Amino acid sequence: MNMDKHLDVINACRYCFMCRHLAPLALVTGKETDTPRGRALIADQIRMNKENLKNQDYVQALYQADLSGACRTHCVSSYDEVGLVLELRKDIVDAGVQPQPVKDFAQQFINPSFTITGEGDVLYFNHPCIKVHAPEMKTAFDKLAPKHKTIEGNDCGTALQILGYQKQADEAAEKFVKAVKESGCKTLVVPQPAAFHFIKSKNLLPDVKVLNTAEFLLTLDIPKKSGTLWPIDSDFLKNYQKNNAPRKLLEKLGYKLKEFGITHEESYTCGEGSMTMVFLYPENVAKLVERVREFAERYEAGTLVVASPYTKLALRTYAPELDVISVEEAAAR
Amino acid sequence: MLLNRKSYLYQMIKSELTWIVGDDYVQSDDAEKLGHSIDYYWVPEVWHDRGQKLTGPDFIVHPKTAEEVSKILQVANTHKIPVTPWGGGAGSQGGALPIYGGIALDTKRMNKVLNIDPISMTVTAETGIIAQHLEWEVNKAGFSTMHFPASIACSTLGGFIAHRGTGVLSTKYGKIEDMITSMEVVTPTGDIINTLPVPRHASGPDLAQLFLGSEGTLGVVTKATMKIHPIPESRKFHAFLFSNMHDGLEAGAKIMTSRLNPSVIRLYDNPETAKLIKRVLGIDRVGSYLVFGFDGPEEVVDIQLEKACKICSEHGIEDLGTESGQVWWDNRYKFYYPPYMFQLPQAFGTLDTVADFSHIEAVYHAMHDAVKEQYPKAAYIGHFSHWYDWGCMLYARFIIEQPPQDPEEAVALYNRIWDAAIRAAIANGGVINEHHGVGLKLGRMMRDLHGPAFKVLEGIKKTLDPNNIMNPGKLGFSGY
Ligand SMILES: Cc1cc2nc3c(=O)[nH]c(=O)nc-3n(C[C@H](O)[C@H](O)[C@H](O)COP(=O)(O)OP(=O)(O)OC[C@H]3O[C@@H](n4cnc5c(N)ncnc54)[C@H](O)[C@@H]3O)c2cc1C
Ligand code: SF4
Repeated sequence: MNMDKHLDVINACRYCFMCRHLAPLALVTGKETDTPRGRALIADQIRMNKENLKNQDYVQALYQADLSGACRTHCVSSYDEVGLVLELRKDIVDAGVQPQPVKDFAQQFINPSFTITGEGDVLYFNHPCIKVHAPEMKTAFDKLAPKHKTIEGNDCGTALQILGYQKQADEAAEKFVKAVKESGCKTLVVPQPAAFHFIKSKNLLPDVKVLNTAEFLLTLDIPKKSGTLWPIDSDFLKNYQKNNAPRKLLEKLGYKLKEFGITHEESYTCGEGSMTMVFLYPENVAKLVERVREFAERYEAGTLVVASPYTKLALRTYAPELDVISVEEAAAR
Repeated sequence: MLLNRKSYLYQMIKSELTWIVGDDYVQSDDAEKLGHSIDYYWVPEVWHDRGQKLTGPDFIVHPKTAEEVSKILQVANTHKIPVTPWGGGAGSQGGALPIYGGIALDTKRMNKVLNIDPISMTVTAETGIIAQHLEWEVNKAGFSTMHFPASIACSTLGGFIAHRGTGVLSTKYGKIEDMITSMEVVTPTGDIINTLPVPRHASGPDLAQLFLGSEGTLGVVTKATMKIHPIPESRKFHAFLFSNMHDGLEAGAKIMTSRLNPSVIRLYDNPETAKLIKRVLGIDRVGSYLVFGFDGPEEVVDIQLEKACKICSEHGIEDLGTESGQVWWDNRYKFYYPPYMFQLPQAFGTLDTVADFSHIEAVYHAMHDAVKEQYPKAAYIGHFSHWYDWGCMLYARFIIEQPPQDPEEAVALYNRIWDAAIRAAIANGGVINEHHGVGLKLGRMMRDLHGPAFKVLEGIKKTLDPNNIMNPGKLGFSGY
């Protein structure tokens, strides 16, 4: 089974409580299942009896995971509790017992096609999450870097990978790589942090410079700004990639940054690491947003700045009263 | 009471609970039941590891307010079903285990900081808040709770109140019972009561001290006010190596009886120095490692530090300096993360107790002998970690590398060692426990420890909880 790669994680996490304070979903549901310990206990049950993989209570719990990576980052031994869940999802998909909404949702990403438009040496990945849910991020980018090509059409396999569809994710990635290569561009800007992590961690494009938006904008000469912003770091950039470019960019632009919430360690992305929670488990996202809203109110946060279109969508949907902009928009102001 | 899931009574109780807290906050699925059937007690861990059936709750309920808690308890009284409060579930005594099924009342949604009073220097919070979150929120206002248990990341304020928990700086700032100034409690019959607004008075017996340490058997603590402190201007540590634990104990006692005011003293015996101080801190020395720290205005810290160093140097020891002290502070929680912490297949138990300075060393040796008598191959290590004007706490541990594979044999051995060791502590001037509590694990010894006084506690329990719904079978009170 795929999960066998992470037996060390099961052994470590199943009786360990030391990162529960950073398990975002558990903080709003109060549920033990939503912690690395809770999920490792489920994994352990499956390890002991494979039939448990079919237990829909367990399956649901594994698909609800927020995958923020905050616990793994905190863990002194960096046990890969996220990796464990992702491998378990592959086992679930292999067994064909994933929940129906997951099956339905995954369909849209299978067998993708990509088109390339525009002119320039830089290729911008207009990921569906941006195209459909946060087009203002592209508008801002266009304003700052008008001369570029755009690749669009679908996700590059990220969502499929996260949902446990390994084979289909690989096929999607292959098509994406082919299209990027055909563009002839040697720089690819990936504004969607999940996709950025996917491409980087798999080293899909060794001959292409793959940058997230902030990294790319750091290379431009953008007029200075003023004002205070409260950054909400991306799970994929901060916890998965250890990439601090959005904050560096905002500081370079002259913004004063104030720490949001109660600690830099906590994830306030409202489920970004899961990439799909806002579509599959919206009730959980509403709870996560409520925590952000409460902290924004209690600590009188002004404009929140996010690196992820996912977080923007979540906050806009469930707390429209909050002032939320993307890093691109902050740069283009 | 484990209910038949298919019965209409089960559905009726579920409906009633759902009406109180909402659909999302009553669970009865296998995943959540699993999570609430194992706490930090070794016995359910080994039971799970060996594929045995665990006892979980029928329902897990997550109230948001004291009023909701009150209504849940009323439902439980009506149907006569047990209710077990569950905070972080990180207690080591089995206190939060719903051993008779019924309702696991998970407090973690009651997690708000309600008020920080900078004039009286107190914070009022709901008790389901995780201690680290409370600390962070208080930090935001420029203060600290000074409550730094190793489980700060995983246990709740209510859990610490329920077990009379403690943090690493207890020597100066006290245990939780010294920190709490008042509480709101929902009694087993559903009354929402408050203890007096101040912790010192002459207005009758102190109800707050009754609920502190009551382990969920006398009600649910829903709010608490606790002291907060300024962030100290200076915090300094110093470490020494004693050739033996006896000398270290003498030095530690002298620091305390000289009425210096360290925030922490920690003395590791030779075996623990060799095992854990080496593995976690990388200090590879033979002897007993002692670290202490002071905090406050810099000049006060410096004077006290100097005096404490002088006391230690009278014992002809090796001065490891400030750096070796600081490294301990920086890594103080690392001991508890895997793989540094003991874990299965090992069997291990923290036999913590407390005694006055005249008896503590005898307690250490008596427990050592009791453990070895039960299982000669068991390792026995310990440190003395919370110090008082009159004595100190012993955090002893036994470790068995390869306990029996058969779960029943393993648990029988485990229980035997615990029983022998704690009874040896009591016989030599110690008590059942200093800060982890009694729970399921040690309840049987409560009657022996308290003698006829235990009847007083039983009487209080009966009066407050006529249907015995609150956490039955814990703290030595009768089962369901
Ligand atoms: C790695 C690790 C390190 C630890 N280090 C320390 C340490 O340094 N200091 C220390 O003191 N302890 C320590 N502990 C033990 C544990 O943190 C404490 O026993 C703590 O008090 C348990 O709190 P909890 O919220 O996890 O409670 P739980 O385990 O959920 O419950 C413990 C008991 O409290 C009751 N309870 C919980 N909440 C309430 C409430 N609101 N009202 C009434 N009853 C309630 C439960 O019914 C149960 O009987 C450690 C544990 C771990 C896992
Ligand atoms: S990730 Fe690390 S800290 Fe978190 S449960 Fe696992 S071992 Fe413990």
